[in-house]
Amino acid sequence: MSVLVFSLIHLVRGDPIRLALGTRFSQETYDALRERSGLDLPLVQQYLTWAGRALTGDLGVSFRSGETVTSLIAERLPATLTLALASLVVALVIALPLGMLSALHPRSLVDRLATVVSQFGISVPDFWLSIMLILVFAGTLGWLPSGGYVALTEDPLGWLERLVLPAVATGVVSGSVITRFVRSSMLEALGSDHVRTAQAKGVPTRQVLTWHVLRNALLPLVTVTGVQLAYLLSGVVVVEIVFSWPGLGQLAYQAVRDRDFPVLQGAVLLFALVFLVINLLVDLLYSRIDPRIARR
Amino acid sequence: MTAPVLEVEDLRVDLRTPRGTAHVVNGLSYTVGAGETVAVVGESGSGKSVSVLALLGLLPARTATVTGRALLGGEDLLTMSPERLRQVRGPGVGMVFQDPMTSLNPVLTVGRQLTEGLRAHGSLSRAAARARAVELLGEVGLPDPGRAVDRYPHELSGGMRQRVVIAIALANSPSLLIADEATTALDVTVQAQILDLVERLQTEHGTGVVWITHDLGVVAGTADRVLVMYGGRCVEDGTVDDVLERPEHPYTRGLLGALPDLATDDDADLATIPGTPPPPTDLPAGCVFWPRCPVRGDARCETEQPPLAVVGSARADLPHRAATWCAEGEAS
Repeated sequence: MSVLVFSLIHLVRGDPIRLALGTRFSQETYDALRERSGLDLPLVQQYLTWAGRALTGDLGVSFRSGETVTSLIAERLPATLTLALASLVVALVIALPLGMLSALHPRSLVDRLATVVSQFGISVPDFWLSIMLILVFAGTLGWLPSGGYVALTEDPLGWLERLVLPAVATGVVSGSVITRFVRSSMLEALGSDHVRTAQAKGVPTRQVLTWHVLRNALLPLVTVTGVQLAYLLSGVVVVEIVFSWPGLGQLAYQAVRDRDFPVLQGAVLLFALVFLVINLLVDLLYSRIDPRIARR
Repeated sequence: MTAPVLEVEDLRVDLRTPRGTAHVVNGLSYTVGAGETVAVVGESGSGKSVSVLALLGLLPARTATVTGRALLGGEDLLTMSPERLRQVRGPGVGMVFQDPMTSLNPVLTVGRQLTEGLRAHGSLSRAAARARAVELLGEVGLPDPGRAVDRYPHELSGGMRQRVVIAIALANSPSLLIADEATTALDVTVQAQILDLVERLQTEHGTGVVWITHDLGVVAGTADRVLVMYGGRCVEDGTVDDVLERPEHPYTRGLLGALPDLATDDDADLATIPGTPPPPTDLPAGCVFWPRCPVRGDARCETEQPPLAVVGSARADLPHRAATWCAEGEAS
């Protein structure tokens, strides 16, 4: 994984030192910088050095700003976490009721509507949706700011105002995917024999739905929600840029633009880690939800 | 015979399917007395299961149309409010389903699935319900019920699971127990144990039992009366002795003829009834069995539906009836 990322990044054309130095510089400065950043060494050696340091938590220093990559990432992490969690909330608020309603009344008006809405959410590109949201809510209506970020501690209301639009933009996409899953896994659970057993016991309908339908539909739901959270944590690059949200996506984008290899490598490594950790968490959650897995 | 626990009159079930309306049950009538076991037999697709699911309102409401009457202790199950029907499920009618592998919820403990039914119909405390659950598991012969109550279904064998399903069905001491192919998925020794168990509980509680099966061996061993279903109709009913010893309907004879006999002809091919049951979307105009019937002894067979008529019986209160134009014992 890290080898792949490393090679891909170094295949990109463009010289980071030249970009960092600007237009006027002497050959000596250039050579010195190149040597100091280790870019004159063979690629394999560069990789080994980087990987060795990365294992100890040292991701190197940004070519551009001179700050350590870890501090740059740590600085951006809270913003991305905030946005990802807020998006997940939006996604679940959309997906759970909509998916449940469509599963309970298949082929009804609600179901058809939900299908259209989620199909729209899945197919629409997030940058387009972001721009539309800005045009309508920040432009025409002027209700919300078009972008930026303030810390929660400084200005809670401003923080919330700026969070809403990007969270909706990413949440709608994830929510649409999750809606489809809620519907199908609920439908599957509804049709299972044990639900009929529960009904035959005379258990009240609401209890049947929570304990025999929702409870059993939870497993596939946790999986897809985990995948969506991982996507939100690492994949909201475009939305962060559109809303000038100072998160990891923006950091990665800037690193690509500046050929800031250490930062880009660090960010990509982090995204990969996020996927691994979330998948691990999902697996651990499984054993809490499904006793068939726990006892093995 | 004491007052019947269940009286089904002219039960009809239509299911809407993409291929048109399926007439799955077409005018079924029967009664079940207290402590009595009525077996409903017939091959797959004869409408056996649907006819009992309809009684408890367990068919999908969007596609199923149920008409007729089904009186349980004088109350019509088919016109009940959903809330009243919920109250009846459990204390009124207990139901055991075919496949113990799928009829229990895999993510809830056995105890939880038992207490849920108990607490839905009474003001039992959590602890009292649990104690009762352990008691019930002991009653159905589960070893070590005190520990089994905290087990998940996947930790139990098929036979043990079916005992749990039976315990759930009996939890609220129902006046009627419906067993839908309850032993079909089990091996023969376990099947015998389950049959004994139900019989014992039946004598203890005086429960009426509807036993749905396609296994004539089970019928002979457990039932008081038999109802043979074909194409959604009752084609023959009567006491076990009458129907199994002196079958009148060509279909019943075919079913009995298809039983392999251990004593004789061990090289002979298994006897079968050629053909398949008619599709419920396109039932024949005359006798439902006519397309497969080896007799066709009457001109009316193809065009006119034979009524369920008395063909003679040892007892007047338990008539032996068959719906056929070709009955030998028919008094003409």
